[in-house]
Amino acid sequence: MIRNLNIVLIFSAVVMLAGVYALKFSIENTASQRTALIAMIDEQEGQISLLKADEAVLNQPGHIEPIVRRHQAALAIEPVRQEQFGSFADLPMRPAKPNSAAMNSLFESLEAGVDPIDAILSLEGIE
Amino acid sequence: MAMTADQVGATIALDGARKVRGNLTQARIRWMVLAIMLGFGLVGARLVQLGMTETDSTIEGQARDVITATRPPILDRNGLEMAVDIRVPSLYAEPRRIIDVEEAVRKLRTVLPNLSESWLRDRLTGDQGFVWVQRELSPSVEEKVMRLGIPGIDFITESKRFYPGMTEASHILGSTNIDNRGIAGIEKHMDGEDIALLQDLGLARGNALAPVELSVDMRVQHVMHEQLVDAMTRYQAIAAAGVMMDIHTGEIIALASVPDFNPNEPATALVKDSFNRITAGIFEPGSIFKTVTMAGALDSGAVSLTDKFDARFGVRFGRFTIEDFHGKHRILSLPEVYKYSSNVGTIHVMQALGKDNFRAFLTRMGFDARVPFELPEMRLPTVPKEFSEVGAATASFGHGLSVSPLHMLAAYAAFVNGGNYVPPTLYKRSVAEAEPLYRRVIQPSTSEAIRYLMRLNAIGQGGSGSQMNKLALGFRVGGKTGTAEKVVDGRYSSNKVTNFFGSAFPLENPRYAMVIMVDEPKAENPQSGTTAGWNAGTVTGRIVQRVAPMLGIAPDFSPLLDESLVPAALQGGPVGSHFN
Repeated sequence: MIRNLNIVLIFSAVVMLAGVYALKFSIENTASQRTALIAMIDEQEGQISLLKADEAVLNQPGHIEPIVRRHQAALAIEPVRQEQFGSFADLPMRPAKPNSAAMNSLFESLEAGVDPIDAILSLEGIE
Repeated sequence: MAMTADQVGATIALDGARKVRGNLTQARIRWMVLAIMLGFGLVGARLVQLGMTETDSTIEGQARDVITATRPPILDRNGLEMAVDIRVPSLYAEPRRIIDVEEAVRKLRTVLPNLSESWLRDRLTGDQGFVWVQRELSPSVEEKVMRLGIPGIDFITESKRFYPGMTEASHILGSTNIDNRGIAGIEKHMDGEDIALLQDLGLARGNALAPVELSVDMRVQHVMHEQLVDAMTRYQAIAAAGVMMDIHTGEIIALASVPDFNPNEPATALVKDSFNRITAGIFEPGSIFKTVTMAGALDSGAVSLTDKFDARFGVRFGRFTIEDFHGKHRILSLPEVYKYSSNVGTIHVMQALGKDNFRAFLTRMGFDARVPFELPEMRLPTVPKEFSEVGAATASFGHGLSVSPLHMLAAYAAFVNGGNYVPPTLYKRSVAEAEPLYRRVIQPSTSEAIRYLMRLNAIGQGGSGSQMNKLALGFRVGGKTGTAEKVVDGRYSSNKVTNFFGSAFPLENPRYAMVIMVDEPKAENPQSGTTAGWNAGTVTGRIVQRVAPMLGIAPDFSPLLDESLVPAALQGGPVGSHFN
């Protein structure tokens, strides 16, 4: 009885030992992956910081203005003058819309050979 | 086995075999317990020993966290970066791990040839745990050094401050040293606040820090800086400076002073003459101070806009006579005194107020103390504690006292915003946040009168601001010139002058105040002059012409807007008659 128990215990001990070792190695593997990832993130953060700084330089008005001045002649642009400003209040009112439906029916009847002026003239009694 | 004591002479005790075995086992157990305890004791002692040793994780006396600590990015009011952190590799060595110093020196010098051989050898020899070799290198150099594969040589990533605007906002931002501590400007102020504490606690790492939003508008800042640099060459001036403020919130929109420095090279900040003239320079303000005198006198009720002053003769004080620069030699109304910048008239205005009341008004306007402001570079103004008769007379037109341009700006802002002194700031602030800080210094009606006078000076006939207004037509700018003669060898010199222009726009609903200074300008061409209207005035005009649309102010040429500035006391008469 005790002998059987011992055998079982010894076997389970061996199995657990193997398991612990496997776990240890897998954890070491994960840890090294983690370290590599941290290093990579660090490097990429560094690159991002450089790119952000680059972007900030390119966005500076002090960086853009010389470029604009260089291409001023080619693009035919110049600084805005006061007289060029306008507002919606300065615009004239929109003229009344032409009655497009009436125009359409007129053109259609002309196309069909009927000139509405005849009807009007006959109504007025003018030949 | 029964035995009695008397039977036994020399007792022979015989133990049974079982008992002997039992004793032996007990002895063995004791030995084992002892051995195990010894073993555990050893392990425990070693643990204590390990716990006691302190590993030296510092870098040349500083904690690693401090070296790699970051600073929050600084943004302008529109979110454009003014200062960012970049990660740069720094090369260090652990001399105690270097096996072959000669080899390390030879190899390192192939990548970094500018390092001195003897210095490097000295650096790498010894038993230190950490020495810097060279800080803030480029990633390509890092790559090359890593390829050399020298043991005991490694990189650490440091944060380095970078200012993408280069010189443009140098006096606002200041600079940081190689350990990422602020040494000037707003950077130094931020350290004084809480960044240094965060860094010490090791919390200021990564991108966790919330960005700091300044009140500055980089577009306006750029235009102002560009125009000031232009003024330096155009008028061959020795210096130029300018500052613009939102009069309702006290936010500084732009602040520049040339010559300046490049914050990316902190050593250039220490060059002579590159100091911040707006906050750390004090000057005799000259005639722009007349606005202060007028405001004080009008506010007290001692004079009114319709009063007339005798400017036919100079004012005598003992042996001295104070005359006008471009004397009209007639009786002038108060608006004319301001428009023609009559020293004599201004003295009479001050005398109507009384010199002690005038002195008290200067205290009320904050001319006795530093302007409450974030920049650490500040200088105390020098205003006499008490005025003599002649001292008060010269002070009324801005001589015999020295204040910073920032003082003048804060005063002008209070004069046009309805009469509330609001302390300037470099941080973003809303009107609601600014209102509790308001301090009433003049009546709203006085503020209206000052607005009229400033606009009159720009569009009235013979007004000293007409040069400015020609350039900034439609933006309703008004202002006052000031040409202060410099003291050379104990005398006021007429060819070395400091010129100012204090202005505000758009005057019918003012939003911004500005002070421009040009130091020792020369005439641009033979037809022009050296007085402030020709240089500080035109610089103001050019700046407003470009920045007003950026600030959402559309040009409007309607004469009704100017007419609305005429105070009730003067109303009546045909349109435009009050701006002659």
